[in-house]
Amino acid sequence: MEKEIGRICAEGFSFFGMTNRLISHEVKNILAIISETSGLMNELLELSEKSMPLEPDRLRSLSESMIEDVQRANQIIRNMNTFAHSVDDFIREVDIRKTVCLMMDVCRLDSALRKTELNLADGDDCAIYTSPLFLENLLFHVINFCLRHPGPEKKIRILLDSNESRTRISLTGLASHIAGAFPTKKETLLAEALSAEIILDADKGRLHAEFPERIEGSPIQNLLPID
Amino acid sequence: MKVLLVDDEEKFVSRLAERLEIRGFEADWTTTSDGALSKAENEEYDIAVLDVKMPRLSGIDLKKGLEKLVPKMKFIFVSGHGSEEDYDIGIREGAFYLTKPFKIETLVERIKEALNL
Repeated sequence: MEKEIGRICAEGFSFFGMTNRLISHEVKNILAIISETSGLMNELLELSEKSMPLEPDRLRSLSESMIEDVQRANQIIRNMNTFAHSVDDFIREVDIRKTVCLMMDVCRLDSALRKTELNLADGDDCAIYTSPLFLENLLFHVINFCLRHPGPEKKIRILLDSNESRTRISLTGLASHIAGAFPTKKETLLAEALSAEIILDADKGRLHAEFPERIEGSPIQNLLPID
Repeated sequence: MKVLLVDDEEKFVSRLAERLEIRGFEADWTTTSDGALSKAENEEYDIAVLDVKMPRLSGIDLKKGLEKLVPKMKFIFVSGHGSEEDYDIGIREGAFYLTKPFKIETLVERIKEALNL
């Protein structure tokens, strides 16, 4: 049991670190864009003081672009803040839709995964009583896997479906007959900790993750913060 | 001096190219590694500024592809990561390494240094 808890915690730390790396990398990219845009605006103004005419539309466009980039960075920081609060309570009620949206955003921080379209279908909100951090961790790996193995249309669609006893997250649009096993040991460990089940239907190009309304008998229920 | 800039952030790479042109460089840009290889087949660039982390082909692998096309080409790597590992890769590959965001003066200095100007 202790060994299992140790492995789960190590996975949680690793996921936390990786997410922070992805976020800081993306924020630095946006800062670099803002830096180049403001530098260019400054140089266009300097050139206009010499001889080159200043085009107001160009300046307006650059200024609007900077506002967009600031908003993009702000959304990433807001997501980072939400993610940081995942460890406030080891187990609590978690909004599945919000968590899926958050992990979709985190996965899309990896530029290699942006070429595949990713959509979450409309539907009712649903909540389960579970570990927010390890749920995010598992969803990240599930979404990441699907984005790396899209079908020919390169569109992954996520659907949520819940009843009183369980919530199912389905991802469709995967390539059929995907080579390589999924879930791996890592996702299996996380799924077991969350009393969840991962089913890859490779023939039909879809993957299901099924969660109980409340985790029972999991070692992570014994994880308690120091008072 | 012909500079090829490769980064998947279009706004970043296009504006950087414009700023280098203001400083007298001939700067061309692309957002993909395929685009970079295709451009290098048709133009002889003196130096390429490559993002380390790009979809499909990393900056390190792209450098190898470009070197085959233009053996004399010099390289500068840029990255938002700023990790020691990235820095070591840059040094090992015999190229300069800059962490985003950087001052354009620093990039210009590195270009001149790499080309012995």
